Amino acid sequence: MNSLFFMYLTNGIVMGIIFALSALGVSLIVGIMNVINFAHGELYIFAGYISYILSVKLGISFYFAIPIAILTIFIIGILIEESLIKPTYGNDMYSLIITFILSIVLQNFALLVFGPFPNKPPNWISGATNMFGLFRYGNQRLVSCLAAIGIIIIVFLLIKKTWFGKTIRAVSQDRETASLMGIDTSKVNMLSFGLGCAIAGAAGVVLAPIFPVTPLAGVEISLIAFIILVIGGMGSLWGCIIGGLIIGIVQSFGAAYISSGYKDIFGFIILILVLFIRPSGLFGRKAL
Amino acid sequence: MLKSKYILGLFILAIFLSFPIYIGKYWLHVSIISLFYVMMASSWNLLAGYTGQVSFAHAAFAGIGAYVSGIIAIKLNIPPTIGLFIGAGIASLFGLGLGMLCIKMGGIYLSLTTLAFSEIIRLIITNEYELTRGTMGLEVPNLIGFYSKTIYFYIMIAVSIIFLLIIYKIIKSDLGTSFRAISNDELAANSLGINVIRVRIVAFVISSAMAGFAGALFGHYLLLITPDISSLSQMFLILAMTIIGGMGSFFGPIIGAFFLETLSEYIRIYGEYHVLIFGIVALIIARFAPSGLDGIYQEKISPKMAKS
Repeated sequence: MNSLFFMYLTNGIVMGIIFALSALGVSLIVGIMNVINFAHGELYIFAGYISYILSVKLGISFYFAIPIAILTIFIIGILIEESLIKPTYGNDMYSLIITFILSIVLQNFALLVFGPFPNKPPNWISGATNMFGLFRYGNQRLVSCLAAIGIIIIVFLLIKKTWFGKTIRAVSQDRETASLMGIDTSKVNMLSFGLGCAIAGAAGVVLAPIFPVTPLAGVEISLIAFIILVIGGMGSLWGCIIGGLIIGIVQSFGAAYISSGYKDIFGFIILILVLFIRPSGLFGRKAL
Repeated sequence: MLKSKYILGLFILAIFLSFPIYIGKYWLHVSIISLFYVMMASSWNLLAGYTGQVSFAHAAFAGIGAYVSGIIAIKLNIPPTIGLFIGAGIASLFGLGLGMLCIKMGGIYLSLTTLAFSEIIRLIITNEYELTRGTMGLEVPNLIGFYSKTIYFYIMIAVSIIFLLIIYKIIKSDLGTSFRAISNDELAANSLGINVIRVRIVAFVISSAMAGFAGALFGHYLLLITPDISSLSQMFLILAMTIIGGMGSFFGPIIGAFFLETLSEYIRIYGEYHVLIFGIVALIIARFAPSGLDGIYQEKISPKMAKS
C-alpha cells in the first residue's frame, strides 16, 4: 500500500463517476423507450465543440457557454427523436440501425466542420491539489468530477421526486396502462429522448476540459457507455453508477499494473464475465 | 414470367463474366471489391435481415479470417487455399462463442456485445504488432501464387455465386422459414416448437464463417491487410449497402454493394465528403424507404410494368 496505489484508486473513482455520467443518458433512454442511442457519443462531442466555440472563439464566459451547449443538445435530441426515431417505434432493431447511421453521419460532419485536431475549452480552474499528503491530483479533474456528481444527483432527483419523473417511471413500467391513465406517451418519449441527449451534452461540457474532443472521440464514449449498460443492467440508473465505478477502477488499475495499451480490453472482459454469471446485469431489468 | 426472369439473370451473368474483356484494369479492381462487399452484405443480411439480429462484428469476423489465413501462411507456410478455410473456421468459432454468450439475452445485447467485440479485435490487431505488424499492415502471399486480376475476378465471382446459392438454399429451406418466423414474432415461433436460441446461433455461426472466408479471400487479393478491415467504418459500409439495397431481401445487398461501391468511385474526388454522403443517403433510405432500392422496385416499378 503506497501512495501510488491511492493515486490509481482515486483516478479510478474519478474516472468511474465520469463514465457513469456518460452512460446515464443512454441508460435513461433505453429504460423508457427501449431504444439504444448509438449517436450518444457524437452528441457528447458536439456539446464539447459547442462549449469550445462559445468560450474560445466567441469569448463567452463558461457560466453561459455550458447551459447554452446543453440546451442546444437537448433541442437537437428532440429533433432527432421527432424526425428519425418516432417512425421506428416498436422495432428496436430498426431504431438501432438508424442511430448507428446517424452516428457515422455526425462523426463525418464533425470531421468536416471542426477538423481532425483535438479541441479543448479552457480549464475552469488551474493547479493541482495535494491529496491526503500522498500525491497531487489535477484540480480540473476534481472539479469536473464534482460537477458530474452534481449532474447525476440532479437527474436522480428529477426522476425520483418530480411529477415529470413520475410519468417517466410510469411509462417505463407499463406503457399501455400509463397511456390509459392519461399520460401522453409520445410526448414523454420526446422529452425523455431530449433529456437523455442533454445528459450526454452535459457530460461532454463537463469533460471536454479534461479530454479534448476529436471527431472520433465519441466512439470510445459510446462504447464504454454500452459496456456499462450491459454490466449494470439495461435501464437501471443505479446499475449505471455501480457499473461506471467498476469500469473506472478496473481500467485504472489494469492500465497501471498490467498493460496500458490494453486498458479498453478490461471493460470487455468484465462484460463477458457478467454475461456468463448474471446475464441481466448487476441490477437486472426493472423499472427506473 | 419465371422463364423470362431466368433468361434475364443469365444475360446479366454473361455480361458480367465478359467484364475482363472490355473493362479496364481499374474497373476490374472495382468489380472485385464490389464482389467482396456482395459476400459481406449478403451474409450480414442473412443474419440481420432474416433473423433480425443486428451484429456489428461482421467486419471483425472478416478481419479474423484475413489475419488468421495471412499469419498461418507466413509463419507456418500453410498454402492460402487451405488458410481460407481455417480462417473461416476460426471466425465461425468466435461467432459460436459470442452467440452462445449473448443471443439468449435478445437483440440489443447482441448488438452491444458485438460492437464491443469488434473494437476489441481491432485493438488486438493494432497492438500485437509482432504478429500482425499493427497499422503498418501485414503482407500476405497471393492466393494462386501469381498476380492476375482476371483470374481473381473469376474466383471472386465463383465464390460469390456459391455464397449466394447457399444463402438462397437456406432462406428457402425449413431453417429459413424458422428464421423469418423468429424475426416476425419470437414468442409465437417459440410456442410453435422452434428452438429460437439454437436457430439464432446457427444463423450467427453461418454468417460469421462466410465473413471470415470473404475476409481471407479479399486479404489474399489485396496482399496487404491492415486493421482497417475490421473497423467500424467498414462495418458501416456493409450495413449501409444492405440498407440501401434492401434489408431482408435476397437481391437487396447485391444491388446495394454494386451501387455503393460504384458510387464511391465517382464521388471519390470529393474526398472527406464521401462517407458523409453515404451516411446521408443511407439515413434517408432507412427513414423513408425501409425496404431499400429493391423494395422501391417491387412496390413502384414492378407493378407498373406488369400492368402495361
